[in-house]
Amino acid sequence: MVIEKMNSRILNRDVIRKFAIIWVTALVFVGLSATTHNFLTVTNLRNILDQQAFILIVAAFTTLVLISGGFDVSLGAIYVMGPIVAMRVEHATHSTGLMLLAASAVGLICGVFNGLVVAFGKINSFIATLASSFIFFGLGYVFSGQGILTISNFSERKLVTHRIFGITSATWMAVLAIAIVWILLDRTKYGRFVFAIGGNIEAARLAGIRVRQIQIITFALAGFGASFAGTLAAIRATSVQASDDLSVIFAVVAAIIVGGTSIAGGAGSIWRTVIGVFFIAFIVNGFNLNGIDPVFQRVIEGVVILLAVGADAFGGSSSD
Amino acid sequence: MRIVVEDLSKRFGATQALRSVSLEIAPGKVHSLVGENGAGKSTLGKIVAGVYSPDSGKLLVDGQEVSFQSPFDSLKKSISLIAQEISLVPKRTVVENVYLGIEDATFSWVNRRKLKERFAELCETSGIFVPGDKLVAELKISEQQKVEILRALARDTKCIIMDEPTARLSAEESSKLLDVIRGLTKQGRSVVYVSHFLNEVLEISDQITIMRDGQLVRTSTPDQETHTSLVEAMTGKSFGSSFPSKQTSEIDEKPVLEVKNLYSRNRFADISMKVKAGEILVLTGLVGSGRSEVLRAIFGADKFDSGEVFLEGKKLNLTGPNEAIKAGIIMLSESRRDQGILALRSVRENISIPYLSHVSKLGLINRRKESDFSTKYTVETGVRAASNEVRISSLSGGNQQKALFARALAGNPKLLIADEPTRGVDVASKRAIYDLLASHSGKGMGILVVSSELDEVVGIAHRVLVMSAGKIVKELTGSEITESSVLAASFEGMDTLNGN
Repeated sequence: MVIEKMNSRILNRDVIRKFAIIWVTALVFVGLSATTHNFLTVTNLRNILDQQAFILIVAAFTTLVLISGGFDVSLGAIYVMGPIVAMRVEHATHSTGLMLLAASAVGLICGVFNGLVVAFGKINSFIATLASSFIFFGLGYVFSGQGILTISNFSERKLVTHRIFGITSATWMAVLAIAIVWILLDRTKYGRFVFAIGGNIEAARLAGIRVRQIQIITFALAGFGASFAGTLAAIRATSVQASDDLSVIFAVVAAIIVGGTSIAGGAGSIWRTVIGVFFIAFIVNGFNLNGIDPVFQRVIEGVVILLAVGADAFGGSSSD
Repeated sequence: MRIVVEDLSKRFGATQALRSVSLEIAPGKVHSLVGENGAGKSTLGKIVAGVYSPDSGKLLVDGQEVSFQSPFDSLKKSISLIAQEISLVPKRTVVENVYLGIEDATFSWVNRRKLKERFAELCETSGIFVPGDKLVAELKISEQQKVEILRALARDTKCIIMDEPTARLSAEESSKLLDVIRGLTKQGRSVVYVSHFLNEVLEISDQITIMRDGQLVRTSTPDQETHTSLVEAMTGKSFGSSFPSKQTSEIDEKPVLEVKNLYSRNRFADISMKVKAGEILVLTGLVGSGRSEVLRAIFGADKFDSGEVFLEGKKLNLTGPNEAIKAGIIMLSESRRDQGILALRSVRENISIPYLSHVSKLGLINRRKESDFSTKYTVETGVRAASNEVRISSLSGGNQQKALFARALAGNPKLLIADEPTRGVDVASKRAIYDLLASHSGKGMGILVVSSELDEVVGIAHRVLVMSAGKIVKELTGSEITESSVLAASFEGMDTLNGN
């Protein structure tokens, strides 16, 4: 009896800890619904969802990198450089299909480059991708001719803004990306290997896993995600230039970590990333609706992220 | 300073490292600790130095009971430890290293000239001379050790514990170190000397304590001991584990593995051996003699410089462990935690990870097939877990090891390599592991084991190769395999190489 009671108490504590980010996000949601006028409306929630589409695509694939024990700073540069090349292809061919193909190819190439450097150069992935982000960023200027590139046919925006069941096609693509990563992580050999090398790279190698191959594939997928999402974002904005905001990677990593995926690798999941993205999105939306000065928004956002990550560190590693 | 140890016990997981050990370290004397790998001598040294705290027992310094929580505490009582690994800051000068943390400083501004004066004085009084301006990284290891000793003396240490100080020194350097130690004792300091080199121990010690399986066998003086008497006392009769009977009828003359002239710079040389089908070959020798390195090279985990490896007569050119596993070689590594288990994953995933292709289609894993696959082998190896879905790190050391055996055997290898297969494993699991090894060798598997535990070597080996300083120095077969013959071979090799 006593033991059973103890077990159930331990279990409860584990459940609370393991799913802490869900409870906190739910709390924020309920709190905003109660206090903030216009938060709990179909239009507002739909807006939040649609605004997160591009971040979600990048974050889904970046989750793979973090679980594999790596880090990729260069995704911010790929997010800008990919659409520049894609836009050039579109100008030359007037084909939306070729534009997206080019976006995918550029992302994959950049990712494979990162993967090769990390796997064979034995360079810490943070350092390696910090270096390559300069390269990609510089190439963005070269390819754009330092000007603004605009889509030649504005009807192409339909690709991302078309609504199906009230939700934009970009959001549906994000749902697809999340589903793909979920299947990869949860159901495939590749996913197992990602967890294994992130948890203990030497043990994984000795168990017969081709560590380098997995690293290269992982960085390639992340590069693809960033380039593709960046291109979708550029299509929606109708233009892209090399000086566009590279900071998307920070938002993405913040969301992944807030969600509870370990930066040390070996643990994490895609649902955590999705929750992390919305946790931050709700907070930012709450600020906007309450008319808080954007300058302070950033500060508070940073504090909230610290609190979320700190709570996780104090509660012990909870993610899996 | 007189240090008294009373009834000290210490346990690490399933291993009882020390069982109520008592001894006395007198001032101005060299007190040696000898024993096999894992006998508890280093643990004892580290408890006195405050690195570990004991589970029970007392530690008295000059009659006063102390309880060290960290090396910092023991340092305050003038006890310091010089560990096997040099712990200096390589890119700083000798003087900076010696006074690291105790600089003459005014408002954090280090007074260099004064430090230099103090250093010169320290060299003079101790009789240990090292160029103070040189970077530590530029010094030879023997000189770095002198820096460590100077650092201890700069803190006015009364008792220095040295763990295997000569393990990486040449014969000449070792004899110089022994002179330094004699000098220290003349100044009334005591030295606790932990070493594998029995000739050195006999030469330098005032007192010798022999340990075995965490227990103290006896404390005596060098004139009462000989090389042989020490070896006998160190091996003695071992506790606990027993072994399945050896079956030799199944051994096939055809080798599963043949290694020819394997060489890896600074690791090992001239390694040639055969492992026959149905045979358990044990590679032994002291820690650091290159045994694990040879295994890793055969498994493709490390590259080697020259030589050839054949599996069932076919030459292998492995570029990594994944190819070794495909070819039919599986290795259980030395460190279960660092190189074996995937701690964050379930037992099921830990076993199936090398064989996921067998249970998946188009890269998608069939969970049920996978679960059946893993369960089959956890049942065979007798892994005890609440279920195969729990994290492997929640199992006991013995069950983790059995799970790793399940992983290895699931591949049905032609050659099974096991590096210290029973380290940190309880007695019952040990027996289970020996049974697994025996039954699979009986079925024609070639088995290559590295072991430091003499009873284990004698208990399971059909044939023994003894390694010393990167070379195979002795082969023992059948009735030649006894604890004393194995140990004698290990030390002979070492002492010859060391020039003693």
